[in-house]
Amino acid sequence: MKYMIMMFGGAGASMEGRSPEWISGMHALMMGLDAQLRESGELVDSRKLADPTQAKTVRFVDSKAAPTDGPFAEIKESLAGYWIIEATEERALEVAAQCVDYIEYPMEVRPIMDEQPPPS
Amino acid sequence: MSGPDDPVDELLRELAPQVLATLVRRHGQLDACEDATQEALLAAVTQWPKEGVPTRPRAWLLTVARRSLIDHWRSDSARRQREERAAEADTPLVPSDIDEQPPDRDDTLALLFMCCHPDLSPSAQVALTLRAVGGLTTREIAAAYFVPEATMAKRITRAKQGIVQSGARFDLPPAEGIADRLDVVLSVLYLIFNEGYTATSGPELHRVDLTSEAIRLVRLLHRLMPADGEVTGLLALMLLTDARRPARTNPDGSLVPLEDQDRSRWDVAAIREGLTLLADTLGRFPVGQYQVQAAIAAVHDEAPTADATDWPQILALYDTLERIAPSPMVTLSRAVALANVRGPRAGLALLGTLDRDDSAVRSHRLDAVRGHLLERAGDLALARDAYLRAARATESLPEQRYLQLRASRLRTDRRE
Repeated sequence: MKYMIMMFGGAGASMEGRSPEWISGMHALMMGLDAQLRESGELVDSRKLADPTQAKTVRFVDSKAAPTDGPFAEIKESLAGYWIIEATEERALEVAAQCVDYIEYPMEVRPIMDEQPPPS
Repeated sequence: MSGPDDPVDELLRELAPQVLATLVRRHGQLDACEDATQEALLAAVTQWPKEGVPTRPRAWLLTVARRSLIDHWRSDSARRQREERAAEADTPLVPSDIDEQPPDRDDTLALLFMCCHPDLSPSAQVALTLRAVGGLTTREIAAAYFVPEATMAKRITRAKQGIVQSGARFDLPPAEGIADRLDVVLSVLYLIFNEGYTATSGPELHRVDLTSEAIRLVRLLHRLMPADGEVTGLLALMLLTDARRPARTNPDGSLVPLEDQDRSRWDVAAIREGLTLLADTLGRFPVGQYQVQAAIAAVHDEAPTADATDWPQILALYDTLERIAPSPMVTLSRAVALANVRGPRAGLALLGTLDRDDSAVRSHRLDAVRGHLLERAGDLALARDAYLRAARATESLPEQRYLQLRASRLRTDRRE
C-alpha cells in the first residue's frame, strides 16, 4: 500500500525563535529520514513545497475563475511537503512519529487510492 | 551508461553527436536519426565492455544506427517502398573506411545550433541538446531535472516537432546571424551548468552530473570555435566556478558561503586551466559578459583567504559588466562588492535603488543580500527579518535551510 505522509506549516511558522542547533537538528532529521527511505526502497516520491506565502489560490468569483494571493488554508494548516512511501500503515505512522516527536507539529498519514480496479 | 570516468562511456559521448550529425546530414529526419543513434549507443554499451571496443568504433556505430534506421523505415508501411529503395541504394551495411573519418567538424556544430534553435523554449533547447549532442538517454535527462521519464520524452518529442515546424535547415547559420545564434547556444549551456551547480540536495541515484556535462559540451564547442572569446570565456567561467564545488557544501548537503569555504579544498587544476584560458582571451577579443564573469571568478579563486580578496578589482569588473550586460542580478552583486570596498551602508544604499525597480528583482536574493549587509552593519533585528523574508521566498531547499540558520543566529527571543 502507498501512503502519503504530510507535513504542514510555513518555513517560518514552526521555527520562529528556535536555536540554530534545533534548526540544524531538524534539517538533519529530515534529510536522514529521506535518505533512509530512499535507501530502503520504500520511498516513491518526496517533495517540499515552497512557503505558503508563495501560494496563489484560484477561486470562483463573479462567475469566473480568478487567482488570488495566498494559500486556501491557514498558513499553519497549509501543506508544506510530503513523502509518498510504499509500506505498511504501521511503518508510515512510525516515520511520521519520528518527525512529530521532534518538531511538535502534527502530521497526517493517508492511504493513496489504487489506480487499478480490484481483482474480480 | 556508467560513470563519467568509464573510457567506453567517454568515447561514446564523444562519438554520439558525430554519428547523429552524419546521419542527419545524409538522411534528414532528426527524429528518426536520433532514435537510431540512441539504439546504436545502447548496443555499444552492452556489447563493447564484453567484446572489446571495435577497431573502428565510429563506423561500427554508424552501421548499427543505419540498420536501425532502415528497420524503422521498413516498419513504416506508408513509406516502405520509397525509403527501402533509397536506403539500399546508399547505405553500405558493413563499416566503411569513409565512416571512420571524423565528419566535417561543422556537422557537430550544425547539430548544436539546430538543438538551440531560437524558436524553441529554453527547456526544449536544454533537453534536446543534452540528448542529441550530449548523448544522454531520456531517462538520465529526466532524472537530472527531477521529472518523470514520460514528461521528458514528451518534451523532447515536442522539441523535435518544433524544429520541423521552424523549417530549420541542417547547416550553420549565415555569417551575419551567427553571433546572435551563438548567444543562444551559450545561454543554453550556461543554463545546464547552473542547474547542476545549484541543485545540490540529496543523493540522487542515476543522476547525471549536469555541471560536468555542461563543461564537456562547452569544451566541445571550444574545440570547434577556438577563435571565439565568449566561448573561451564561458569555459573559463565554468571551470573557475566549479573548482570551488568540493568546498561549497558540508557533508550533510548544507551550503557553505564563499567567505567560509575551506580554500585548500578547491580544485587547483581546474583553477589553473581556467586562468590560462582567460589569459588567452585578454586583449584578443572584444570584451563579453562571460569573459568578465570569468575574470571575477578568477579574482575570488586567486585570493588565499576571504579577507585577502581584491574587492576593488571585483568592483571595477562589475562596473564593466553592468555597462555591457546590465541586469538587476549584476547590480545586486555589485552592491556586495561595493559593501566590501566602502562598507555595508554603501552596499545597502545601492540595494535601495533596486527597490524602486518593480521587475523580477523582487527576488529572495535581494532580501538575502540585504540580510548579510544589515548584519554586518549591526542592524540585527532588521537583518533577521530580511533573512526570514528570503527564506520564505526561495524555491531552493538547501538555500532555505541556510537562510533559516542565518536568521536563527540573530533571534532576540530565547527559546530552547
